[in-house]
Amino acid sequence: MTTTETPRFVRADGPDKVTGSGRYAADLTLTGMLTAKFLYAGVSHARITKLDVTAAKKVPGVLAVLNQADVPLVRFGSVADRTLFAHEVIRFEGEVVAAVAAIDAATAQKALDAIVFEYEELPVVNDIEAAAQPDSLLVHENWEDYAADDDVSRQGNIASFTSIARGDVETTLATADHVISSRYVADASHAVPIEPRGVVAQWEGDKLTVWSSTQVPFQARDGVCETLELPTNKVRIVVPHLGGGFGGKCGFHYEAHIAALARATRRPVRLVFSREEEFLAPDRRREGMIVEITSGLRHDGVIVARKARILLDNGAYSSDASFFPHMAVMHALGPYKIDHVYGEASSIYTNHQPSGSVRAPTAPQACWALESHTDELAKAVGMDPVAFRQLNTVDTGATGVTGQIYEEIGLQECIREAVAASAYHEDLGDDEAVGVAVGWWPSFPDASGAYIKVDSDGKGVIITGAQECGTGAVMTLPYLAAAELGMAPEDFEIVYQDTSAAPYDTGATGSQTLLNNGRATVEAAREIALQLKKLAAEELEASPEDIVLADGMASVVGSPDSSISIVDLAGIAADGEMLLGRGSGSPPESPTTPKTVSCVGDQGMNAWAGPQFSCHAVRIRLDRETGVVRVLEVNTAHDSGVIVNRVGASGQVEGGVLMGIGQALTERTVYGDDAKQKNAGLLEYKLQTMADAPPITIHFAEVYTPDMGPNGSKPIAEAPNVATAAAISNAIAKLVGRPVRLLPMTAERVWETLQDERA
Amino acid sequence: MSLAIANSIDDVLTALAGGARPIAGGTDLVVGARQGKSPLPESLIAIDRVPALSTIEQTDGHVRIGAGVTHSRLMSDPLLVERYTGLADAAALIGSPSTRNVGTIGGNVMNASPAMDTGAPLMTLGAIAELRSVSHTRQLALSDLWTGPGQTSANPDELCVCIVIPQTPAYSGSAYVRLEYRRAMEIAVVGAAASVVLTEDGTIASGRLAMTAVAPTIVELVGASEAMTGMAAVDAADVIASLASDQAVPISDLRGSDRYRRHTIGVMAARALDAAARRAGGERIGVPVNRNLGIGAAR
Amino acid sequence: MSETYELEVNGVSYPISAAMDRSLLSILRTEVGLTGTKEGCDDCECGACMVLIDDQPVNSCSYLAAQAQGRRVTTIEGILDGENQLHPLQRNLLDEGGVQCGFCTPGMIMSAQALLARNTSPTQEEIRIGLSGNLCRCTGYQRILAAVEKTATEA
Repeated sequence: MTTTETPRFVRADGPDKVTGSGRYAADLTLTGMLTAKFLYAGVSHARITKLDVTAAKKVPGVLAVLNQADVPLVRFGSVADRTLFAHEVIRFEGEVVAAVAAIDAATAQKALDAIVFEYEELPVVNDIEAAAQPDSLLVHENWEDYAADDDVSRQGNIASFTSIARGDVETTLATADHVISSRYVADASHAVPIEPRGVVAQWEGDKLTVWSSTQVPFQARDGVCETLELPTNKVRIVVPHLGGGFGGKCGFHYEAHIAALARATRRPVRLVFSREEEFLAPDRRREGMIVEITSGLRHDGVIVARKARILLDNGAYSSDASFFPHMAVMHALGPYKIDHVYGEASSIYTNHQPSGSVRAPTAPQACWALESHTDELAKAVGMDPVAFRQLNTVDTGATGVTGQIYEEIGLQECIREAVAASAYHEDLGDDEAVGVAVGWWPSFPDASGAYIKVDSDGKGVIITGAQECGTGAVMTLPYLAAAELGMAPEDFEIVYQDTSAAPYDTGATGSQTLLNNGRATVEAAREIALQLKKLAAEELEASPEDIVLADGMASVVGSPDSSISIVDLAGIAADGEMLLGRGSGSPPESPTTPKTVSCVGDQGMNAWAGPQFSCHAVRIRLDRETGVVRVLEVNTAHDSGVIVNRVGASGQVEGGVLMGIGQALTERTVYGDDAKQKNAGLLEYKLQTMADAPPITIHFAEVYTPDMGPNGSKPIAEAPNVATAAAISNAIAKLVGRPVRLLPMTAERVWETLQDERA
Repeated sequence: MSLAIANSIDDVLTALAGGARPIAGGTDLVVGARQGKSPLPESLIAIDRVPALSTIEQTDGHVRIGAGVTHSRLMSDPLLVERYTGLADAAALIGSPSTRNVGTIGGNVMNASPAMDTGAPLMTLGAIAELRSVSHTRQLALSDLWTGPGQTSANPDELCVCIVIPQTPAYSGSAYVRLEYRRAMEIAVVGAAASVVLTEDGTIASGRLAMTAVAPTIVELVGASEAMTGMAAVDAADVIASLASDQAVPISDLRGSDRYRRHTIGVMAARALDAAARRAGGERIGVPVNRNLGIGAAR
Repeated sequence: MSETYELEVNGVSYPISAAMDRSLLSILRTEVGLTGTKEGCDDCECGACMVLIDDQPVNSCSYLAAQAQGRRVTTIEGILDGENQLHPLQRNLLDEGGVQCGFCTPGMIMSAQALLARNTSPTQEEIRIGLSGNLCRCTGYQRILAAVEKTATEA
């Protein structure tokens, strides 16, 4: 249901996926392959007193039992606080204590049962507010010994702290006509790709190949190299088809454990996670968060000052989460025109599963808090919430909260179009309402590379380090190459997800594939185009500058009869200087931080390259007697620049919205007093089903964005996950009379809020 | 582990006498084993191919539903949809289409979960379970069958062969509603079933209600008939709701607090009564009520 | 203790030698060698393991393989039309953009196939309920719904 016509897009991996012939990591078998299983700590905080694997090693059919004593003691992570296996102290239930390789799963389980693992329990750090206190029990006693980037500001249980200050907040608040303060608390949630992860490792001599369901094969490679102390050219990571990630499969996880088992047994080894393991073990979880925001307003509705304080649940280890506080502050301050701001955020160590990048990390929770707060502001000055946003949000040429001045952006178009598509202005009776929220998200320029070769029959191969996690971003690369070369997308195959075949790419993270690998692919195609033009010029006795490539032909401009097919040129090239292109290109420059802002713990988020904007309008129905909320329709508008692949982009919006509905209403990770997860399964961790999924409309505000992605594009994958929960919150608040201050806004919480409102 | 496939009830009873456990669709048994709740029994007898367990028969004054009848059939069988609609409502809400294809009424009843969906409507319809062993056949009221969460008074050698429900009188109707957070793949947070008989003037002549997931077993609402007899259903809603909330003894768990369950069971009881009375009055409300009367649950 | 029995999968009879407590999913993936049927939860909660048994959709993770003796099992590998052409459902899922990571896709197709076999012109609501046992995290379901609708319209 897009607003503009959908061009046909055929994904090259499609037939493999619809016929079942496509192989995912768990589908791979190698002759002699062993089964790996992990012994998890099963306790949230404890000192290891005994770990004896002697009996486990003697179980018939067991070929290796490894623990931290068997691998180098290397600490890794954005704060280097993590080891491969548990080392001396257990800090969350999903820590790997030991790994077994055995002839089959049942035998591996027998070995796990035979491991003697004893520990002395320690009190758990389960509450981020208490953990943030200076006198709290420390999760990492020796945190000062861990290496970290100089910009990461740390203290005690505060794994990373950031503050942003611009203007004079306190004075401005003191003189504001209205000052409104709000507090919102979000629970942790999970990425939940439908494929549980799998890893297969095999050594040939001193060379290691790992097939892994990772979103970031080069990061996985670097993690293996770092922890097992290997050079990068000895380690090859191959990703088979990847069954979704949503950030949950970012980072470096179990590749090194399985590689170590394979080395110890001199046999291939495979690990496949159960759904429960997928919930409990990986260091990727959307963090719980407490957000306090205060805004000062003039009577006319102009926001004059804002301050925000945020606590994030870092979990037991820092994973990639050191930049989260900075990102969270930006989302709590928001895409607004406010000259006086102060925001600070701390990511706090606890004995929970580590937090890490899950689709638009920190944004859905912080946006939910800010945009719910924004409706409270509008109410305080008696303004319509949409008009209030139109007055206060940034537009082309405006100055944002950190002083960044925006070039052409489409936020106002997003607000206008999302609201216009919705029933916002209709009388919906007592039990239905439309809520509106805006969101934003940066683009991440980065290094990336691609090769292209065109062989003698005029067929091409794109060899790219990019990772396809389902979005279709890699599948779009042939369209970009074909457009540069006057060829058809079907003329190109793609070799991808193989760290030894292709140049570096960051991977399927930060919505960056089309932005950076698209650039690299276009650059590589341009090299081939130059070669083709040179060849054609020789054949047609013209100047290379006068050759145009179109419809499979190289022609002299203005003389269409003077032409030669690209297939013929490829045949000629095959006997001489071959058609080989390489591309990387310079990543677009990130804007510099404005001088007016001061920042402690600067993680590079003050000024955003290629900021994406969105507005979601969500219509809900509320059952007042039970608090159950159903989403009836979602109307979205997105500024992600010019849309390169409409089918793919729409799929990102629709999937992001549904994930947002889940986060808004039903998705929640519950911790017990022992800091262990209570609902590590798909019955009690409730994703939305097709029966729950509402119709979703999309408007793309196609603002041409220079010096960013191919064709004036910006990224799209994470942005749709930002504003949905916030819009639902505002719809609920309209019906209830006040916002539900806990996320997810479960039926029971909505009902409790209704009781409070009546009281 | 061994598994044998039975072709007749006698096959099954002999196997049970020898210590085997019955398996129909396996949705509870196999999932439970995988989750580590309880390992699969050493010896299983598959009962899904016994024709006599898969019939729905109308006899004098009763309908006999074979224990092996699947939820898919319960929700679509014309007789059940017409006369025992609350049971069809419940069957249509269980799990997903695939679990409804293999899950059976016998499995649901004998699994004795306090959150089972078919239990409450069966209770209000006055159903009894027929248990058979090699030596005897006995009929047991459901309230006597269910003794606790996952526990029944059936002996290990007894097979539930069918559920027997008395014929429903004229001017009667039944309904089952439940509180659910998603529209599919759910287990009842709380649920309520109602069966009512109306007088010719539309007031309630008699009725029964039963409640799901508010006690260690499915429980009948005591005093419901007395409380509402002679009233129009719409006027009885409040009294039934508070009766339900008063009698509920729910626990707090991931799905809801005891306080919330105590409140919502009243809401569900009133809605079940409303839908049952409307059906008794001749209104066609499709199966299941949850999906045909709005959000979360009926309204 | 392994026992021997026969299993008919996609019209081919396979001799199986395996313990009787093995799930149909596990037998299909390891003994029969068809990996198109996926394991997403092993708990009847995601639908990635959906197969047809006598044309009815069943979660193969929670169904004992031995119970499928004498029945017809159909997996995603058995759904291609005659000459190895894509089934209309497969084609329409690709055309409509209903495939992203693809992990839920085989199970989704099996549920949709069963739905369309018993209801040739389902309403949107019937499709939503019919496929409600198949979780998808990528698409938001909208394009899957469109593909199933389109398949019904074409038939």
